Amino acid sequence: MKLEQEQIKKIGLSAVVLVALLWGYFAFMLDPLEKSEKDATSGLAALGPQIADAKVQIAKTADLEKKAPVATAFLNRVKNSIPDGAPIAWFPPKMADFFKSRGIDKCTTHLVSESADPMPGFKRMVWSIDVPKVEFITLGLAICHLENDEPLMNILSVSVDATREDAQYQHATLVLSTLVKS
Amino acid sequence: MPLHVNLYHEVQQQEIARQRDPVRLAMLAVLLVMIGFVVNYFIVLERSHMVSIRYTVLQGDWAAIEPKAKDAKARQDELEAEIAASDAMVKNVDSRLYWAPVLDQILQTVPRTVQLIHLGAEAPGDEKSINSILEISGISSAPEPRKEAENVRTALETKLGTKFKHVSSVFKTLDDSDQYVMLDGRRLPTAAFSMEFQVQVRDPVVVAPPPVLKARREAGGAE
Repeated sequence: MKLEQEQIKKIGLSAVVLVALLWGYFAFMLDPLEKSEKDATSGLAALGPQIADAKVQIAKTADLEKKAPVATAFLNRVKNSIPDGAPIAWFPPKMADFFKSRGIDKCTTHLVSESADPMPGFKRMVWSIDVPKVEFITLGLAICHLENDEPLMNILSVSVDATREDAQYQHATLVLSTLVKS
Repeated sequence: MPLHVNLYHEVQQQEIARQRDPVRLAMLAVLLVMIGFVVNYFIVLERSHMVSIRYTVLQGDWAAIEPKAKDAKARQDELEAEIAASDAMVKNVDSRLYWAPVLDQILQTVPRTVQLIHLGAEAPGDEKSINSILEISGISSAPEPRKEAENVRTALETKLGTKFKHVSSVFKTLDDSDQYVMLDGRRLPTAAFSMEFQVQVRDPVVVAPPPVLKARREAGGAE
């Protein structure tokens, strides 16, 4: 079959139009769509794990929120047990009252040093407690109660010396540190 | 059999030629391809639209959950700090050296033939120190006062050893005295002594080896 000149022209023109249409189709219709789909897909891939992590985070915090009151009860109790105000004002009378309640009438408390504690919100103070006249057993019992009743106090040193005046009594010095609110 | 004369022969030939016209066929083919492309476009459009909808929904979810997650993270940090502080406080309290039991052990161990004139005890200085030092001075009175002092030293060492891991003791001084005491109606010679006890009150802190050394050691062990 032989094509006529007119037909060849038509076919050529059609081919050109077809190529132009194909280019327009891919460039202006299909590519933007696919690009937008690709962006949305990558967004989905990124957001999915983020949302999952966020849900895990919220659940973890909720779980921690349930456990925290038990875990921090001791700390809160201890914090509440520390009186407000300057420790130099309340600590020596507190010790005097404590030893008096344990049968030791006289004791003197002096501040030795003061330093920051690694625990935030606290500072450590070192005190020297001088008990001029005390029986060994009474002193031992007082120390026992002090250690059990006052968890924030740590006795750093104990010194007991016999007195020359009365062999029944001793002279004792305690050095202890305690945590107070900073 | 009747004879048929086809008077439309030429018309039919033209119709066949028209149907077989390559231009027409090409146009039909192009039309089919175009229809295919249009269908494909709508399929892709639909798919893209669905993905976009899902993405928009997820973006909404994320916008709703992100502030909550940030707040949760901040709250978690706060709670963890509180728990760590509480744990540190408990550790602080638990790691104290309780002196009352030590004094009780001394009281139980020292016999009436020995009079203590000084007792000094110090807790470990810092967190790295594990030993506490106990100094005891006194006067022993017995027919053999030096032996009596030695008995007190060994008895105290044994007694303290029941409570602490490692106890060592040494006499700082042990001197015969020219003074005598009356005990139970007997006149006994005396000796003045001073002894020191080193008591391990904490476990030594074991420092983990650096990761490189550890890995090297494990590799060497495997070989």
